[in-house]
Amino acid sequence: MFLVMCTRTMAQELYVSSEPASNMPRNSIGLRLTAEVMPGKDLGLRTIPEAMIGITKNLMGHSTLYISDLHQKTQKIEGFGFYAKYRFISIDSLHRHFRMAAYGRYSSIKNPTYTRNFSGRALDEINLEGDNSGLQGGIVATQLLHKLALSASLNYNHAFNNSGGYDLLPGQANRGFAYTFSAGYLTFPKVYTSYKQPNINVYLEFIGKTNVGSAKNYLEAAPALQVILNSRTRIDVSKRFQLYGNMQRMTKNMFLFRIEHTLFNVF
Amino acid sequence: MKKYTVYAVALALMLATSANAQIIKADVQVSGLTCSMCQLATEKALKSLDFVSDIKPDLNKNVYEVTFKKDKKVNLDQIKNKVKGAGFSVSKLIATVNFNDVKVSNNFQYKYLGDTFYFVNVPSKNLNGSIRITVLDKGFIPDNTFKKNVAEIKAPGYKTGQVAGTRVYHVTI
Repeated sequence: MFLVMCTRTMAQELYVSSEPASNMPRNSIGLRLTAEVMPGKDLGLRTIPEAMIGITKNLMGHSTLYISDLHQKTQKIEGFGFYAKYRFISIDSLHRHFRMAAYGRYSSIKNPTYTRNFSGRALDEINLEGDNSGLQGGIVATQLLHKLALSASLNYNHAFNNSGGYDLLPGQANRGFAYTFSAGYLTFPKVYTSYKQPNINVYLEFIGKTNVGSAKNYLEAAPALQVILNSRTRIDVSKRFQLYGNMQRMTKNMFLFRIEHTLFNVF
Repeated sequence: MKKYTVYAVALALMLATSANAQIIKADVQVSGLTCSMCQLATEKALKSLDFVSDIKPDLNKNVYEVTFKKDKKVNLDQIKNKVKGAGFSVSKLIATVNFNDVKVSNNFQYKYLGDTFYFVNVPSKNLNGSIRITVLDKGFIPDNTFKKNVAEIKAPGYKTGQVAGTRVYHVTI
């Protein structure tokens, strides 16, 4: 059983399938490892190691590596990506906050742009986290209400031809929007006694995509369970599944496992 | 010569020395967070200040009891900035100050190692021993409370925190 877990720094807004509007503390570094397990005739596995850095109180950056066996028998490094987020609104009050941030992503991926196992079917879904090279820009808003954290985001994705000569196929979608709505709730502890207590958060997230210039779209649900140990290590377990849609996707179902550790005051 | 004596006496009177007061500790309440990971991040940021000796957190009330080193100048702005750097805000700061026979009154200004503490809404009294003073400046209270205070507190330097290049903290008892 994988114990690959991933954590973020803001408890019940440490969403598993999206990013909150909050940032990591400045001078801190986060190390994250994600495993995406995709059911099918052959079990597919994508592994994503990621390093995150809090640069200022408003700016953070990630650098990511993508590794999978989705298009060949062995694990192969598919490519890399960078992500940055700038928090431009932050309103704090006791046990509450409202945040908004703008973010951008760049990915460079050396994979064919069709579905698994050389099926030849062009992917409709634009996924900059392992399947497509491209650029992404978006905004996210998060509201913390004591133990409940709600968040919504919208981004625009522009896919390039993948590297290594893997161009987009004729007529293949290269522009699309993605949107998420997330809710997280701190279920344990009810009352804090120490930093050493494990924290347990439950999440329900919805992720949707719609391509520009076609009627292709999908919506999926991603419930998740998260444990935070020693107030600095996180473990996430999630199942993502499609609710409806008409897109050719790499997978309509996925198990996600993540582990993340935060190092404070590193520089 | 007489002119210089007058100036010297005036200067000595103006510079109420910090030997008559010492900031022992502060209760810092932080807003914008709920979980213990955020609190740990904030505590670690505060612990990195060279004048902080110990921190005791209350994880439910989001208050840190911060104890200071005896031989270092306490910089309240640095406390505020460390909390902001962690991603949050100070919603209340109450400093416990040991006073040695300092007479205060409304609008009294106390000079502490280059900064000025301006007493607001206090009656005339002699301060001796441990006194808790609350900071009223921007960044040490919720933003909407500060906006309200700007209309009500007419003390010099309240809006900007500065008077003639000197940092001024506005405090009350």
